[in-house]
Amino acid sequence: MRVALFIPCYVDLVSPEVGVSVVRVLRSQGVEVFYPEGQTCCGQPAFNSGFFEEARGAARHFLDVFGGERFDYVVCPSGSCTTMVSHYYPFLFRELPEELERAEGIGGRVREFSDFLANVLGTEEFGARFEGRAVFHCGCHQRRELGVLEEPQRILRNVEGLELVGWENEELCCGFGGTFSVKMPEVSVAMADEKIRALEKSGADTLVSCDPSCLLHLKGRLDRTGHGTRVLHLAQVLDPRRGRVG
Amino acid sequence: MRRKEFLENIRHRTRSGRYQPTRAPDASWTPGRRAAAAREVGDPPSRFLEELAALGGHGRRVKDLEGARDYVVELARERGARLLVRWDVEELERLGADGPLREAGVEVAVWRDLEDFREVAGRADIGLSTAEWAIAETGSLVLESGPGKGRTVAILPPVYVAVVPVERLVRTVPEAIRMYAGRGSLPQNLCFHTGPSRSGDIEQSLATGVHGPGEVHVLLLG
Amino acid sequence: MEKTGTEERARREGLASGVEGFNGRARRALADPELHDSIALFTRKTLKGRAARLAELPDAPELRERAYHIKQETMANLDRYLGQMADAVEARGGNVFFAETGEDVVRYVGELAREKGAKVITKSKSMATEEIELNRRLEEEYGELGLEVVETDLGEWIAQLAGDAPSHIVAPIMHMNRHQIARVLSGVAGEPLPPDVKALAGFARRRLREKFLAADIGISGANFGVAQTGTVCLVTNEGNGRLVTSVPPVHVVVMGIEKLVPRFEDLEVFVQLLARNGTGQKLTVYTSFITGPRGADELDGPEEFHLILMDNGRSKLLGTEFEEALYCIRCGSCLNVCPVYRQTGGHAYGSTYSGPIGAVITPLLKGDREAKDLPHASSLCGACWETCPVGIPLHDLLLKLRNRQVDEGLAGKAQEIAFKGFEEAVERPALYRAGARLGRVAQRPLVRDGSVRRLPPPLSGWTDFRDLPPLAERSFRELWREGID
Repeated sequence: MRVALFIPCYVDLVSPEVGVSVVRVLRSQGVEVFYPEGQTCCGQPAFNSGFFEEARGAARHFLDVFGGERFDYVVCPSGSCTTMVSHYYPFLFRELPEELERAEGIGGRVREFSDFLANVLGTEEFGARFEGRAVFHCGCHQRRELGVLEEPQRILRNVEGLELVGWENEELCCGFGGTFSVKMPEVSVAMADEKIRALEKSGADTLVSCDPSCLLHLKGRLDRTGHGTRVLHLAQVLDPRRGRVG
Repeated sequence: MRRKEFLENIRHRTRSGRYQPTRAPDASWTPGRRAAAAREVGDPPSRFLEELAALGGHGRRVKDLEGARDYVVELARERGARLLVRWDVEELERLGADGPLREAGVEVAVWRDLEDFREVAGRADIGLSTAEWAIAETGSLVLESGPGKGRTVAILPPVYVAVVPVERLVRTVPEAIRMYAGRGSLPQNLCFHTGPSRSGDIEQSLATGVHGPGEVHVLLLG
Repeated sequence: MEKTGTEERARREGLASGVEGFNGRARRALADPELHDSIALFTRKTLKGRAARLAELPDAPELRERAYHIKQETMANLDRYLGQMADAVEARGGNVFFAETGEDVVRYVGELAREKGAKVITKSKSMATEEIELNRRLEEEYGELGLEVVETDLGEWIAQLAGDAPSHIVAPIMHMNRHQIARVLSGVAGEPLPPDVKALAGFARRRLREKFLAADIGISGANFGVAQTGTVCLVTNEGNGRLVTSVPPVHVVVMGIEKLVPRFEDLEVFVQLLARNGTGQKLTVYTSFITGPRGADELDGPEEFHLILMDNGRSKLLGTEFEEALYCIRCGSCLNVCPVYRQTGGHAYGSTYSGPIGAVITPLLKGDREAKDLPHASSLCGACWETCPVGIPLHDLLLKLRNRQVDEGLAGKAQEIAFKGFEEAVERPALYRAGARLGRVAQRPLVRDGSVRRLPPPLSGWTDFRDLPPLAERSFRELWREGID
């Protein structure tokens, strides 16, 4: 099985440690990973602002880098960027048959990290250890378009020492929304604060997600308001270098 | 002329549009993640009474006309009613409540040859009618308008009573709707009437009887 | 510049406030903790009810699918169904008027009122008449008739008295508390009323009853119209809809052309979805099916029935990629689940329709320039699409609207330049990497204690409220090259 890594641009530039953990977890499962160096960004920032033509440019580049039959799977540690490729490339190219075919050809093989672990590798237990009470935040694309909601939570429940707790209105968006966070900052922050109030109520000391962009947003607000909550990507919790059982 | 142009414009747009809606929802739409709490309607009469009670209505099963008559007369007495207005239908003639009501000092107005229906229905303390059907699953009455069957009888008086033979119960809303689908001619006014009038507009606190009756009684007969 | 003319007209067609300035209005709402609490209370209650009522319906998902397909079929053949509807109403002795604009509706109703010598008009809650500001325009443009146009839905009436627009499709005065309401109603009563729900509702009942009985014309909207039978379906909980359509000698229905369904049996899908999804009820208290005027041998009910089929910008969407916006049944559920609406309430949208559906149909009906902010008032989380009983892909429509703004040059030069640059960088990995290196140098003076606290506009939108991690010393790609163990 040939597996390529798709590391979203902001993970590459801002939180590369998430990508590192992804590599370690996949290797620990005997998966050989490739990292095509030509990759940049899936185009979502432009798409989400209505700049479809510019987004198509980014999408074409992505298809050039990952397309064809070179890889069986493309694994991405972000539900949102995965959705951009699997659901929104076909939408972007809906009137361009040739590219539509290319986009649809790869759509089903681009998989969000936890989805790949649970549904491709068939593994939900990684022998990881993590001390803490955690809530899981599911990114909106991952919840609604991808429908990968239960898998990451099952994986977390298998982590030794980690207590997964529920929280109020867990289905609410964190308020990031891409350029929304800058265009309508007050509303975006009010949404983040709503999540943070629920987080406080839950008594959790850790927030886990499969979407680095939600994490970036929530952590940015937590830090600004002086909260000490740990904010981690699922891959970081599972990282074999962090701690092992036994 | 206006109609022709109006429809021409619409025809042109529907025919020349290239867009084919394709985002039909799939059947995986699951409201909430709890297993379906679907309840079959086992025994329609008891289900009807349960649903009506849950809405704050008063339902009762009565064996015979006599039981229904006593209930109506007693209710009028308890409420200190001065005027009761009722449909002009054969079943309510058979009920025979007019005499006892008048004896109890309650004026009875029958829905025929009224000088001014507004004055009568607007002044009445109790409205009394039958219903074409009743729906078990929702505790609803199905009311048709027609000669002798004033629609305001069920809406202007603060207390409303309906007498419905138990065999007119249907199980579900779709069943009730299908009773009328494909019928040549619908009554001018058909109403599924489900419990007391309610409003939650003020601070989402329930206020009953804001415009329609705050008190709804249904007697299942038989 | 034909567009501007249309928009000029759209402005005159109602929608008093422009929709620019969402942020400003949202800011006011965010500073109002009471508003936040009442929205939270309403949405929690309603959504809980919704989940319970839908769970009781084993075929809810199939109903939703049927609803979408019925609406699709309706729109694809709308001319035929409108013709059918009109024929059926006329066959029952009703009158039908095709109104292209809100202006046409106002004229028709005004002239009808003049002809009847009407003084009091009662209204049952109708978003279509809100959209065209019928009340205000009747009173202004037909001032000589001295019309009194009275909203009779409790919430709508209070909003009308307060000079306020409804802030939710289903719960018009969610934004007011009992003390504010008591003040408004005390002004009408001429005596102080206690801030008690029972007392206030009791006063409303007494006062509005006089209006119901005195009305010369009753105006209602329509939740659904059945083409096959000419039936108008109307749902209300208070019973005001029954009174408005049964007591006055004349009943006028103002119905958007998209409200049609082909057949009577189609209502079994919609009546159930509307109540269960919108208000968490098994059935609305009064679900009425009205077909034409009353029979000759009936004592009550309207002697005259007028159906106004209103376009007002709707037909523009037919056959376009925005057509699905016409499938909406106005259940209000997308507002209840929308995390943006839940923070701001309805008035922030500055338009008749708020929440996700408002953000979609306002620009579609009024023009992009008029409602520039609205398509951006969403994090695109998709909760609206998930909850919609007809499955309208609202978040996709918002994206398409943003795209339309870009195509029309409404996005602004700065964004255009920024995204052109973005495209250049992501298509050229070398440029992307050079940019990242440059960023690392440029950010140095901005980093304090390991995070970026201040950036120039527009990015200050982020850093005014949130910390931002700096670009990492070494990117993932560099770490990969060095080897990950």
